[in-house]
Amino acid sequence: MIGYIGEFEELVLLSVASLHGNAYGVTIKEVIEKQTNRSISIGALHSTITRLEEKGFLKSWLGEPTQERGGRRKRHFEVTHQGKVALHEIKSLRDDLWKLSKASLSLSK
Amino acid sequence: MKKQLPPHLANKLFEWYCSNTAIEDLLGDAEELFYQDIKRMPAWRAKANYWKYILALLFSYSVKRRKQKSAYHHFSTTTFQPSMLKNYFIVATRNIVKHKFFSIINVIGLAIGMSISLLLIAMLSFLWTYDNFHVNKDRIYRVITNADDKQTNREFASTPSVLADKLQNDITGIEKVVRVNSSLSVNVVKGNNEIPIQGYFVDPDFLEVFTFPLIKGNRNAALNKQNSILVTAKTAEKLFGQTDPVGKTIELKGIGPVEISGLLQNPPKNSHMQFEVLAPYQMIETIERNDRNQILNNEWEYRNSYVYLLLTEKPNVNKIEKFLNDIPKQVYSLKENFSATFELQSLLSIAPGRELYDQIGPDWGYASLSIFIILTLLILLPACFNYANISISRALNRMKEIGLRKTMGSQQHQIFNQFIIETVLITLIALGLSYYIFMIVRGEFLSMLVSSDGLELTPDLRTIAGFILFALLVGLIAGVIPAIYFSKLNPIQALKNKSVGRGFAKFNLRKALIVTQFALSLGFIMGVVIVFSQYRYTLNYDFGFAKENMLDVELQGANPRFVKNEFANLSAVQSISMSSHILGASSPDGTRVKDFNGDSVEVEQFFVDHEYIQNMHLSVLEGKTFSDDSLAKKCVIVNEEFLKSFKLASPSEALGQVFTADGEELTVIGVVKNFNYTDLREPIRSFFFRYDPSKFQYANIKVASNDMISSLTDMELSWKKIESEKKFTARFFDDEIENAYSFYFAAIKICGFLGFLAISISCLGLLGMVVFTVENRMKEVGVRKVMGASVWSITMALSKDFVKLMIIAALIAIPLAYLFFDKHYLQTQQYYHINIGPFEIIASLLVMLLLGLATILSQTVKAARANPVDTLRYE
Repeated sequence: MIGYIGEFEELVLLSVASLHGNAYGVTIKEVIEKQTNRSISIGALHSTITRLEEKGFLKSWLGEPTQERGGRRKRHFEVTHQGKVALHEIKSLRDDLWKLSKASLSLSK
Repeated sequence: MKKQLPPHLANKLFEWYCSNTAIEDLLGDAEELFYQDIKRMPAWRAKANYWKYILALLFSYSVKRRKQKSAYHHFSTTTFQPSMLKNYFIVATRNIVKHKFFSIINVIGLAIGMSISLLLIAMLSFLWTYDNFHVNKDRIYRVITNADDKQTNREFASTPSVLADKLQNDITGIEKVVRVNSSLSVNVVKGNNEIPIQGYFVDPDFLEVFTFPLIKGNRNAALNKQNSILVTAKTAEKLFGQTDPVGKTIELKGIGPVEISGLLQNPPKNSHMQFEVLAPYQMIETIERNDRNQILNNEWEYRNSYVYLLLTEKPNVNKIEKFLNDIPKQVYSLKENFSATFELQSLLSIAPGRELYDQIGPDWGYASLSIFIILTLLILLPACFNYANISISRALNRMKEIGLRKTMGSQQHQIFNQFIIETVLITLIALGLSYYIFMIVRGEFLSMLVSSDGLELTPDLRTIAGFILFALLVGLIAGVIPAIYFSKLNPIQALKNKSVGRGFAKFNLRKALIVTQFALSLGFIMGVVIVFSQYRYTLNYDFGFAKENMLDVELQGANPRFVKNEFANLSAVQSISMSSHILGASSPDGTRVKDFNGDSVEVEQFFVDHEYIQNMHLSVLEGKTFSDDSLAKKCVIVNEEFLKSFKLASPSEALGQVFTADGEELTVIGVVKNFNYTDLREPIRSFFFRYDPSKFQYANIKVASNDMISSLTDMELSWKKIESEKKFTARFFDDEIENAYSFYFAAIKICGFLGFLAISISCLGLLGMVVFTVENRMKEVGVRKVMGASVWSITMALSKDFVKLMIIAALIAIPLAYLFFDKHYLQTQQYYHINIGPFEIIASLLVMLLLGLATILSQTVKAARANPVDTLRYE
C-alpha cells in the first residue's frame, strides 16, 4: 500500500528532515508553524511523532541537558530509511496523480 | 527582575500523572516554549499557555503510549511466544510433581466433581441425537393439545384423531397426515403360552413419513392389508427364534389371526417412538367389534392418540395452527367447562422438549433435565472453588517465581495465561480419573432412571470431544480466580516473599466457601437419613391389618372355589380368603355411591370373600362379615371414613342403610375400623368391601410353617392340579409392600451418591486448608510447646477455627434442609409420613462432624505432636 501516511505525518517527517539533525519537539513545532502559518498543539505534535516512531519512520535519542530547559534533556529525531522511502513513495504518488490530472487542474482559463 | 519560572503546580500534576514514565523530554519542550513565550507576552499569559501545553501533552497519545510501555520492563513483549508455552508447561509439571499432596487433593477433588458432569454431558450428547435419523426430520410435526377443564390446564402430547381427517382434506401445505394410536397392547397366543406385545396402530403412510427401515417385506403395501402386522427383529426373535417370520400367521388374543407382512429393524434407542409391532389403523375397528367394552378410538378422545404431519417444503406452521384452533370452537362448545387449543410441535423438539402429559415414548422434559443440571453444578462448582481456594492459600510458594517473572518483563495477562494453563493441565489429569469413575457409575445411573431404555451412555467420539472441551472449560473456571490473584501480585512484595495483606476479604471468602460446601454436604446426608427412616417407617407402619406370613397367589383366571378347596387341604395353610386387590400395595377402583337423598360420594372398593376380614385381622366395629351365598352381593362393609362422608354419627346407625352404586342397591352389614387399604401415599378415604367372586384376582393364604420351602413346593403341586398350564405365582405380602416402596431406594441411592460426592469434595477442600494452615503455623506450634503447651491444647488451638466453620454450616443447613424435606418432599411423596425429629438431624450432623473432625484432626494432632526442635530450627 502506497501513501499510508497522513498529511500531518508527512509534514512532521519533512520538517524533521529539513532540520538536519537539530530536530526536537520545539524546533519541529517552529518549522511547521513558520512554513504553514498555522498554530499547532504540542500534544498533537508529540502524538504524531510517537505514531511515526511506532511505524518506524522516525528514530530518536536523548541529547545533553541544556540550561534553557531547566536542565532537562532533549529528545532528538531523525528520519529513518523506511521514513525516507515512505516520503518518496507519497511524493511519486502525488506526481503521478498530478500528471494524470494536469489538464483539468490547469488554473488558466 | 525576578526570573519567571513555569507554574510549579502544572509540573507537579504532569509528573504525578506520568509517575515513573520517562517524560523529561516532553516537559523540557514545554519549558523551552514557556521561556520563548515569556519574552513575547505578559507572564500571566505565558503561564496560561504553559498550562495549555501541559494539558495537551497530558492527553496526548505520546504520554499514553509511554505509560503503557513503562509498566513493563523493556524486555517485555506482547506478542505470543511459543517458547513461553513450553516453559509454562514445564513449570506446571514440576509444580505438580513437587507438591504431590496438593496435586493429589486437587486432582481427586476435581475428578469427583467432574464425574457427575460427565454423566450429564454423555446424556445430553445422546439426547441431542434424538430422532435425527428420520430423513424428513425437519418437516415432521406433531399436533399437541392444551386441554383446559377449568380446574386444571394440562398440555398433552396426544391429540384427538378426528383432527387428522380435517387436516388431510381442508388445508394445504401438508403432504401427509399419519394417525398413531399407542394402545396396542395384546397377547400373542402361541400354543399354551401367551406372549405380551405392545405397539402402535398406524396409518399406511407411517413408513413414508418416518424412517423405520424394513428388513423384509414391501414398504408400500405393508400396512394396507386389514389383518396384517409388521414386527421388529427383536419381537420376531421372541416369537419365532431364528426362523423367518414373514408370511407366518399369529393369533392375537381378542383380535384373531393376523399375518406378518414384514420385518422391521428395531427402532433405534434415540427414537421417541418405541414399539414391537405396527398394526394397520383399521384394526382398531376389529377390536371394537369383538369387545364392546374396549373403545379405543373415540374420535374426540385424545389419550393415546397422536397425529403426525409431514409438511411440504417451507411449511407455514402458523397457518396450520390457526386452522387447527378454529376446530375445537365448533366441537367442544357442547361440552361444559372444557376447551382445547392445539399446537404444532416439530419432531426435533419432542425429546428433549417440553413437559407434556401422555407422551408416546420416553419422557425427556426440560424441567427434569434442569434439576439434573442444577445438581451437577452443585457438585461441580464446590470442586472448582476448592481448587481456587487451595491454590490461593498456597500463594506463598509461588511468590518468588511470580516476582521474578514480572521483573523480567512478564505482563499481567501472561501470568494469567500461565496459571490457566496449569489449571487446565490438572483438570485434564482429573478428567482421566473422572472418566474412570464415570465408567463405573454409568450402569448404576442408567438403572436408576425411569426412561433408561431410551438412553445410551457409551461414549462416542463426539462425547469424548465434549468431555475434553468440558475439562478445558472447568480449567478455565477453576483457574480464573487464582490466575487473577497471581497476575495482580506486586513484584516487589512478591520478591520479598511478603504475603499480600489485603487477605481479610479473601479469607472471609474462603471461609464462606468451606461453610457452603459443608452446608451442602449436610443437606445431602440429611436427605439420605430422612429418606431411609421414611422407608423404614413405611415398612413398619401399622396398616391396620395383618401382613405377616401372608402369601398372595395370583389366580390367573382359575376358579376361586377350586383353589380354595385344593389349598385348604395343605397342612401349612391356616386360612384362605379371596380378594380383587392386594391390601396396602395396589390402588383400588373408585365408584360413585348415592344415598337415599341422592347425595353422591366417590368411594373406593375391593371385592373380597366372606373369610377375608377375619383372615386379614381387620377389626370390625359393628355388624358382621359377608355370608357365603348370593345374598352377599347386595351387601357392603364400610370403613369409618365412609360414615363421615355420609354424615352417619355412629357405626350402629349405619347398619342396614341402603346405598346405590353401579345401579345396584347395597346394604351396609358391617363397619370396620379405618385401615390403609392402599399405599401410604394416599390418605384413607371412603371405602367399602363388596362381594363378587368374578372379580377375585388373588388368593390370600395365611401360612404357618417351619419349612417355608417345602410348603411352597406343596402349594405349587396343588396349583398344578387346578391350572397345569399357568405358572404358580405367589409373593409374600411383606415383599409386596417392600416392592411398592422400592422407589425410595432409588432416592436413597441418588441422595447417597450425591452426598458422597459432596462430602468427599468438602473434606478434600477442608484437608487442603488445614494442611496449609498447619504448615504455616509450625513455628508457632514449636514456640507454644517450648513454653509448655500440651498436645491437647495445641490440637484445640489449631482445630477450633475449622470446627467453628462446620458449626456455622450446620446452623445454615439444618433449617433449610428441614424446611425442604419436612414441608415439601415428604408431603408430596407420601400422605402418611414421618415427622423429622431430633434423631434424623443429630444422626446427619454426627456423620458430617465425624468426617470433618477426622479430616481436621488427622493433620492437627500430627502437628501438635511434632518435636519443637525440628520445627524451630533454621535451615
